[in-house]
Amino acid sequence: MKTSETLTEKEITPEFVEKERKRRNLRESLTGYAMISPWLLGFFGLIIGPMIYSFILSFTDYDMLSAPQWTGFSNYVELFTNDPRFIQSLQATFTFVVIAIPLKLAFSLFLALLFNTGRKGSGIFTTIYYVPSIIGGSVAISVVWRQMFGRDGAVNTILDAWGLDTISFFGNSSAAMSILVILIVWQFGAPMIIFLAGLRQIPDDLYEAASVDGAGIVRKFIKVTIPMLTPIIFFNLVMETINGFMTFTQAFLITGGGPRDSTLFYAVYLYEVAFEFLNMGYASAMAWILLVIIGAFTLLIFKSSTFWVHYD
Amino acid sequence: MLRKWKKWATVSLLTLIAAGCSPGGPEETSEAGAGGEGSGKGQTTIRFSWWGNDERHDLTQEMLDLFEEEHPDITVEAEFTGWDSYWERLTTQAAGDNLPAVVQMDNSKLTEYISNDLALDLNTMIEEGTINMEDVNDVYQDMLVVDGNTYAISGGSNGLATIYNQDLFEEYNINLEPGYTYEELGQEMARVSEAEGEGFWGYDFVKADYETFRHYARQFDQHFYNEEGTGVGFEKQVLQDFLTTVTTWIDEGIATPYDVTAEVNESGESMVANEEAAIASAASNGLVGVQTLAEADLGLNVMPTAADGEKSGNWVRPSMSFMISSNVSEAKQEAAAELIDFITNNEEANQILRAERGVPIASDIRESLAGEVDPTVQETFEFLEVLEERAGDPEPLPPPGESEVRAAFDRMLESVKYDEMSIEEGVDSFVQEAEQILNQ
Repeated sequence: MKTSETLTEKEITPEFVEKERKRRNLRESLTGYAMISPWLLGFFGLIIGPMIYSFILSFTDYDMLSAPQWTGFSNYVELFTNDPRFIQSLQATFTFVVIAIPLKLAFSLFLALLFNTGRKGSGIFTTIYYVPSIIGGSVAISVVWRQMFGRDGAVNTILDAWGLDTISFFGNSSAAMSILVILIVWQFGAPMIIFLAGLRQIPDDLYEAASVDGAGIVRKFIKVTIPMLTPIIFFNLVMETINGFMTFTQAFLITGGGPRDSTLFYAVYLYEVAFEFLNMGYASAMAWILLVIIGAFTLLIFKSSTFWVHYD
Repeated sequence: MLRKWKKWATVSLLTLIAAGCSPGGPEETSEAGAGGEGSGKGQTTIRFSWWGNDERHDLTQEMLDLFEEEHPDITVEAEFTGWDSYWERLTTQAAGDNLPAVVQMDNSKLTEYISNDLALDLNTMIEEGTINMEDVNDVYQDMLVVDGNTYAISGGSNGLATIYNQDLFEEYNINLEPGYTYEELGQEMARVSEAEGEGFWGYDFVKADYETFRHYARQFDQHFYNEEGTGVGFEKQVLQDFLTTVTTWIDEGIATPYDVTAEVNESGESMVANEEAAIASAASNGLVGVQTLAEADLGLNVMPTAADGEKSGNWVRPSMSFMISSNVSEAKQEAAAELIDFITNNEEANQILRAERGVPIASDIRESLAGEVDPTVQETFEFLEVLEERAGDPEPLPPPGESEVRAAFDRMLESVKYDEMSIEEGVDSFVQEAEQILNQ
């Protein structure tokens, strides 16, 4: 019923407005995707793509030089039924995680408690104590560690000066494991900072109330600090456990998995299989098993959290 | 509309650049364009990869400059890294059909490249004279010839040897002429370690037991691997005898205990240089490095022999070799051959390289370098002449999977030395494990 003079008005119908809005929305989201496309490309090309490929490879025999041969589940069967070193690497990794991670958490909590007093200068110390966390995973520190615990290294020189017997740290299974545990515990910085943040969030009135009720310092720690801190402990436990299972650099460089495979961590064995023995298919299968193991442990911690983590 | 187009074009271009910059992105985009097509006439570009330390990198690049000067039509792109990352990189390149034209190879890896048809047979090039091998005695190339085909050219040779403390040997009046036996060596070392007291041992196996045993088994006309590469090629009894000698020596204090030897080795030291051992297994070119660590004058000798052995255990081996990748264009293969010939036969090139890769295989190059190189390097030259004369049968290349078998051998040895396994158990389990690995 409109005439030709009102053509512009005709254009601005509700349908037109709706269409225009949709068009803009689409354009905006397209621009958005275009903006993050470098990341998307990286994510699909360098993470998801290789993951899918490695999953496929895990069912093959692949030496990188010739084409992969489909072998079905034989890599997985071989791993669980006919590879004592795989079992040994699981044992070494579990032993390491079970010893090192609780120690590391306890130590970082202890230091966080010390720094939480808010004394002058504690900020500087917090910063200094955080440093090992940054450099501890580096190749340089691993090399230093190897020198320190070597036959003529600093530690043995000190032992010798005190008239004690020197220790062959790399010739003795438990000594080799210990120096790796010490190195990991020494990298307490990250969990310490998170603990510190958690401690600062505990309201003072809780402590005051506890004091009024006659609680001593130990009781306050057990009854107030720990329960209030459980969400933080939970977070740290999950993160550190995941990292613990993937420990590689330190063991690879310091002990090389030795002596007699006693520190052959999962990731070290995986590397050996993949890049020294060129069994890419077998190594891919190992990588997926590691993913399942880490997933299972994380799930276990999450499930157990309902019993010990308090959110309030 | 046009503006929109531009915007999209810019965004996608940026994306491509970002993807190209990220690690794992396509490498060497220039190579395909520069060398691949335009090689018919004019410039040929080849890539040459090697592992090594800074010294080798510098020397090799200097040599390449000279090569390019003399061959203006060839451009060489150098790719060099340390040992560990080298193999990761090379296998990735092989998987991506992107191997360099000239590849520095290790004996333990060459079979894998041959069996996957990645190494070019160089016989035609040698016959045509592109690679001139007239001055090269066959013993230097024996290991690299499989079924009559030459798959690589030795980049310098060495041999299994012993490095000993000459001063100490003189002091104790020890005289071990080539051909000396394990028994003679054991007696002398018992005398030395006894007299020198605690913290001193006679023989250091330097974690080279695997190599030492290969030398031992050869004397009984047995090789470590069988011909088909499906299992071991020695009788269990031979390995048992060898391990008995090793463990007895350790128990009696004649040889260094395992944990000590492992640790000293790991830290890059040498027990002979430290004057904690009198004599040790070594690769003959190892003398150059060990001598710089030592105060005493060191010398080279052949390995001890088994008294009841029938054959010579010695063989000359390439410390590394150069292979030509079979999937580069013919023009590049030709250029690669010229580079290898240059390294093998050019005097100036070898004066630059200073035999750092091992003793040069061409006799006139060895002669021309005599007097120019360090006295210690000269000693390794002379030792190879001794070895050349005493060399036994050619030693075949180890089958694919050698590195894994060797790792298994070392683990077994560790268990035996720590008394976790008897020698019989160790030998049985190792032979079985080796078969399992080689039949994978």
